[in-house]
Amino acid sequence: MSKGIAVAGLEHAFPARGGAVAALGRIDLDIAPGELVTLAGPSGCGKTTLLRMIAGFASPSTGSISVGGVPVTGPGVERGVVFQQPNLYPWLDVRRNVALGPRLRGVGRAERLAIADRYLDLVGLSDAADRRPYELSGGMQQRAQIARVLAGDPEVILMDEPYGALDALTRERLQGELLSLWRATGKTILFITHSVDEAVFLGSRVLVMSPRPGRIVLDELVPFSADPDLAPDEIRALPKFGATAARVRAAIAH
Amino acid sequence: MPTRSSVSAPRRWAGLALSLVVLLVVWSVVAAADLVQPHYLTPSPLEVWHAFVRANSHHAVGGGIDRVVRGEENYFLWEHLLVSLRRIGLGLALGVVVGVPLGLLMGSVRWIGDLVGPYVDFLRSLPPLAYIGFLVAWFGIYDTLKVWLLFLAAFPPITLATVNGVRGVRLDQLNAVRSLGASRLQTTRHVILPATLPDILSGLRVAVGFAWTTVVAAELVNGLPGIGGLAYLSGTQNKIALSVACILVIGLTAIALDAVIRSIEKLVVPWRGKA
Repeated sequence: MSKGIAVAGLEHAFPARGGAVAALGRIDLDIAPGELVTLAGPSGCGKTTLLRMIAGFASPSTGSISVGGVPVTGPGVERGVVFQQPNLYPWLDVRRNVALGPRLRGVGRAERLAIADRYLDLVGLSDAADRRPYELSGGMQQRAQIARVLAGDPEVILMDEPYGALDALTRERLQGELLSLWRATGKTILFITHSVDEAVFLGSRVLVMSPRPGRIVLDELVPFSADPDLAPDEIRALPKFGATAARVRAAIAH
Repeated sequence: MPTRSSVSAPRRWAGLALSLVVLLVVWSVVAAADLVQPHYLTPSPLEVWHAFVRANSHHAVGGGIDRVVRGEENYFLWEHLLVSLRRIGLGLALGVVVGVPLGLLMGSVRWIGDLVGPYVDFLRSLPPLAYIGFLVAWFGIYDTLKVWLLFLAAFPPITLATVNGVRGVRLDQLNAVRSLGASRLQTTRHVILPATLPDILSGLRVAVGFAWTTVVAAELVNGLPGIGGLAYLSGTQNKIALSVACILVIGLTAIALDAVIRSIEKLVVPWRGKA
């Protein structure tokens, strides 16, 4: 069962020369279980900061964050994080990287490797299971990272511009795969991006953040990604896709 | 694959062999010229070789006395070497056993690092000869002393390299494993330790160098058997050929040991320079 995310009265400032810099304005946000929320905004607006706070890597100056009703005090297994950098461990092969979450939970060797193989299959990396991460392309590394997070069986997945460093073709393919994955698993996903197209394509709900101090200036439900009758490669051709993208773009530029 | 060296392996070896021949020729000429009198103070390569062979066999004591002795000082040269290697091995092993956990702790817990760091730095900057007298007073003149001295020489570079490695681990590599549910201990075991392995091995190589320098110092006091002790003693007794043989053995063994560690490095850290 997926869990929701609740952010209440959150503000954040960090110390700098010449006084504190307000990084995040007041943010109140409720993400329902099973939503795929994309968060777009100009670079430096604090969207990554917000994600890292939900992940438990940092604490807000004021306000509270809870996941599934439990306050966030640090990183936790119920919140999987997909980073912009793949962060795979070069001392493990791809299969053992993916099996790491189950291994930390104390799952036996045979079973955890079976789990790893299942998720590698899901992201289309079965052939690369025995290779080391540095022997894979950037796109394959990101797939492996996603498989590793899924194998940890989190209830919420936080994705921080995971496709930002990839070429356009790989990027679109991985977006399609993520959509299928989300439709199949129903996980709650918060996906940070600086791409309007990516936000509108993936999100069942799109958020736009203002420049620093970041506040949410657009919050719109989007019908495309959740529609099971809509194949991923048909979404971008829809007239309403362009209209939504235009609204999102306007909100960012505002 | 781009290669860093433009010279192929066979050519490198040929170059090395050639330079070795040149060295031996120059050495022979200098020895034959007897620049320093008497003659035994400038042994030729052949005389050094003979000293080396004598030191590894039963041989007549010479000087008209009809008595056969075993190697030098009752031990064959290779036995002297093994005794020294054992001391170095023990010192390094203790250095790793103490230095790696200490380095992990100092690197992971900031205040411990700040507290202990200066002392390890201080110890590292001391030449072992400075505290050998003090250690004799504490531990006597037997092997305990030598292993302590080697340990004290070996553990600071291993510790500091480990600390350096821990602090160099990327924050998100730690965050990633914590988000997979790792406890503090699991984070150390599954990420910090393997990520630090390349630095630990670099520290070990530095420590091996220190240990060789130190073993000769350690064996100045009651160092027999021991290759450093033999090198020193034979020098003071004007057995220059034997002393040179010891020096060559020390140097070649040190190079061999370093090569062994480097191949271990290739084996256990195949990702070095790639990720």
